[in-house]
Amino acid sequence: MKVHIPTGIASAADRDDTVDLETVAVEKCSSGSSARRPSCPAPTPGASSGGCAYDGSAITLVPVADVAHLVHGPVGCLGNSWETRGSLSSGPGLHRRAFTTALGEHDVIFGGEGRLLEAILDIGRRFRPAAVFVYLTCVPGLIGDDLEAVCRQAAAELRLPVVPVLAAGFAGTKNAGNRLGGSALLQHVIGTAEPAYTTPHDVNLIGEYNIAGELWQVLPLLDRLGIRVLSRISGDARYAELTWAHRAKASMVVCSRALLSLAADLQDRYGVPWFEGSFYGVRATSAALRGFATVLGDPELADRVEILVAEEEARVATRLAPYRQRLAGVRAVLYTGGVKSWSMVAALQDTGIEVVASGTKKSTPDDVTRIRGLLGADAQLIEEGNPRDLLRIVRESGATLLAAGGRNLYTAMKGRVAFLDVNQERHQAYSGYDGVVALAAEIDRVVSNPVFGTVRRPAPWAVGDLARTRGDARVPIGLAG
Amino acid sequence: MAEVTASRADSGNLDLRGDALRVLDHNELFGLAEYVEQHAAKREMEGAPSDEEVGQTLAWSQGWEYRERNFAREALVINPLKACQPLGAVLAALGFAGTLPYVHGSQGCVAYFRSHLSRHFKEPVPAVSSSMTEDAAVFGGQANLIEGIENARALYKPEMIAISTTCMAEVIGDDVKMFLGSAEQAGALPVGFPAPYANTPSFVGSHLTGYDSMLFSILSLLTQDASAEPTVEPTFDPAVEPLVDPAAGPRPRINVLPGFDPYVGNVREIRRLLGQLGVDVTVLGDHSDALDSPADGEYRLYPGGTPLAEVTAAPGALASLPLQAFSTRRSRGLIRDTWGQQVLDVASPIGIRNTDAMLMAVAEATGTEIPAEVTAERGRVVDAITDSHPYVHGNRVAVAGDPDQVLGLLSFLLELGAEPTHILCTSGDAEFEQAAYDVLHASPYGVHATVWTGKDAWHLRSLVLTEPVDLIIGPSHLKGLAREADVPLVRFGFPVFDRHHLHRYPIVGYAGALNLLTWIVNTVLDELDRKAPDYALDIIR
Repeated sequence: MKVHIPTGIASAADRDDTVDLETVAVEKCSSGSSARRPSCPAPTPGASSGGCAYDGSAITLVPVADVAHLVHGPVGCLGNSWETRGSLSSGPGLHRRAFTTALGEHDVIFGGEGRLLEAILDIGRRFRPAAVFVYLTCVPGLIGDDLEAVCRQAAAELRLPVVPVLAAGFAGTKNAGNRLGGSALLQHVIGTAEPAYTTPHDVNLIGEYNIAGELWQVLPLLDRLGIRVLSRISGDARYAELTWAHRAKASMVVCSRALLSLAADLQDRYGVPWFEGSFYGVRATSAALRGFATVLGDPELADRVEILVAEEEARVATRLAPYRQRLAGVRAVLYTGGVKSWSMVAALQDTGIEVVASGTKKSTPDDVTRIRGLLGADAQLIEEGNPRDLLRIVRESGATLLAAGGRNLYTAMKGRVAFLDVNQERHQAYSGYDGVVALAAEIDRVVSNPVFGTVRRPAPWAVGDLARTRGDARVPIGLAG
Repeated sequence: MAEVTASRADSGNLDLRGDALRVLDHNELFGLAEYVEQHAAKREMEGAPSDEEVGQTLAWSQGWEYRERNFAREALVINPLKACQPLGAVLAALGFAGTLPYVHGSQGCVAYFRSHLSRHFKEPVPAVSSSMTEDAAVFGGQANLIEGIENARALYKPEMIAISTTCMAEVIGDDVKMFLGSAEQAGALPVGFPAPYANTPSFVGSHLTGYDSMLFSILSLLTQDASAEPTVEPTFDPAVEPLVDPAAGPRPRINVLPGFDPYVGNVREIRRLLGQLGVDVTVLGDHSDALDSPADGEYRLYPGGTPLAEVTAAPGALASLPLQAFSTRRSRGLIRDTWGQQVLDVASPIGIRNTDAMLMAVAEATGTEIPAEVTAERGRVVDAITDSHPYVHGNRVAVAGDPDQVLGLLSFLLELGAEPTHILCTSGDAEFEQAAYDVLHASPYGVHATVWTGKDAWHLRSLVLTEPVDLIIGPSHLKGLAREADVPLVRFGFPVFDRHHLHRYPIVGYAGALNLLTWIVNTVLDELDRKAPDYALDIIR
């Protein structure tokens, strides 16, 4: 059973203590019994252009740093995407190498299994990785390459785990792929080894990808509480730690809709209780820490959490105060997907700015309830974020900041609003208490940059403003004739 | 919390005096003691090999033995320097006014193309897909294409929809032509609405092939009613009257084909340069405004692009000038054979010699003369090269990129007295290889070079680490190699994600040669300063 932890944020689940896993799962584009058929809504032809299932599976699994990630497909699937996500590793960097079978026409006709086997064997011998993860793409999915059989054969020859990840692009959306990535772990990795020792405070973090080091920024808090992260799924993870995730005493699903199913399955198979939370924002971070104490059922831990929360909240309030003052009155539109549509709202609000609208493209009814809880009943929700509508909403709401992912960055620039990158390409860690201060500092930087003054003013000759501009830009007075 | 050091950056605008208010940036934060300890503890927990063992293995992987094993690799590609066909097709489509790039297949591919082009050009990129899923894999993508076109027309109101395909549609054998007929019958596509399409599977060719196929398809469709004879007679007879008097009548017009061009500055520079000869230009297709639009508060879905009517009139021009050969193969054939128009077969005008050849070819084809201003401009750039040559001469250079840009760059490097050493072109073929050796062997500086086609960045790593160079020129993906080899990288070609605005400058023409020279020589000088002991840190270079 999922343990429900209040996030400090109103939600449908908050009002109803008996959360029905089945309903949650279906609503959340995550569960369902078949590993191959995710229950995510189908994309709209001609309109949407989000990532595919293969992309989603790679997002979920590629952060595992000592694994060789081999994309079985034509060159484009990897050629157009490698080195583009900021999941950091504290050690090995094998996950940053881009391995692909680069299927050609010959393979499409005669099958790609031979090439795949040879590629896995080559990787195994050349790099001696902890494991090889093999990603299915559209082409071998359609021509019927038996990925699982080839992986079995290669594993036997190499005496190395070789994990098939069956999320061909056409299997669905990015969310569906996240979920299929989780399924691959459950089916082939988790439960295949035991940790050297366990403690009563061993936990899993699921769906935390260590973007810009966000995981690292949270770990010291957990250290202080005596909570040990047994398995990171999958930011800064190593293959070995994934194998014993089933021995954790609790799982936290960090900002991931699609990986709720993995947590639920860990509960079903191994009895690991779980909760959902976020490390974005002061309130959410405190709620997450309390969540561990509740799920682990340790009153002493709960006491330690309260002490730490009081300390940290006081410290961060002092650090935030000057920013909150400067940022008062700044209005922002948030356009991001799924869980982040509410967790990021909370974090942005903690910095003192006003969030006037939030995107809900990949959000569930539950997410939307949470957003309404945070923004009030009048909250403007953006369902379909085509650039023009996004900018219209920005203009109408008087927002001066657009917080969104990288593909919207240059749209924001055209609309003369400051932009905050909240997706995987950013270089700032916003998690935990210190992360909120980093977020505030970054917002302060972007909204106060002088270029947004320049870009909002038309060229002076276009508005008959010659006298003033020339007045502003004269030679020093002593030199003027 | 660990001690805060005084050296760390203050990322906020506040006048931060107390330590408590400082925010560390991404590079410095995790250098703090607590994180260093965290990482060391994790290393211990995961039983990582000793530093010594890591060092030994790394050294082995940098040597000749590994290089030989690396080049024996067959089934595996590591770090590909190549994009796929529909990405090129999307770029081609962006060169035409009001044109929506539409990719028929599963949707993730388009998300990658948009991100990839956005990250290079720093601009929003519109493109949609058929979003085919498992049911389409079984039943075919016709329903998706019809619905997609209907939705795309309603949402984005394009003048033209340029349809390319992903692997998925190609593998299941979708017949796009037939589907478009069905779309017309279903009323999703008005009869006569321009909807060129190209088959662009990723498992064949590269982004250059895809670019060419889409360009070919657009040009064919928009000029299908044009006769093979020029519709506009030349206004002069070059044999009789070589100089065109601007007052005497319409200026001669030629078509320019930029090809898969990562530099939006190129088209503008060619237009300016040919304008000085008195030649007008129709660009087929001009993506420079689509991927470099002003920040004026408006989001335009289709900012710029060649007007479709200009394309229809293009067969009437005097000649066509492709700025790239390998990304315009089919399109050149169309122009030469179907339009019956002269194609100026000159090398990419990168560097002095290639620009000279291009200008002379244009002058000859249009009966114009190269004016004194252009000669003076050329002289200034040649002068700049004489200023810089001592620092570039003899530098061993590794070059990676797409065929035409690499060929142009090689020619220029040889003009500077640099020594191209490893030339790697993943999307190159035998013709490229021959062309590259022809350029290289024409100069004593090029005779030691080796050309590698179809190889990847992991091969290049072995080459550079076993036979060191002074400079690497190529895309951003090579920055890791540059760091490992301790050699500077001049960003060049596609993609360049990690340096700003290079793509806004031209690399063609004399102005382009000056830009390239500036980037190259200043990189060499930066490196010279970085490595100079105190006594040699001269301020005059």
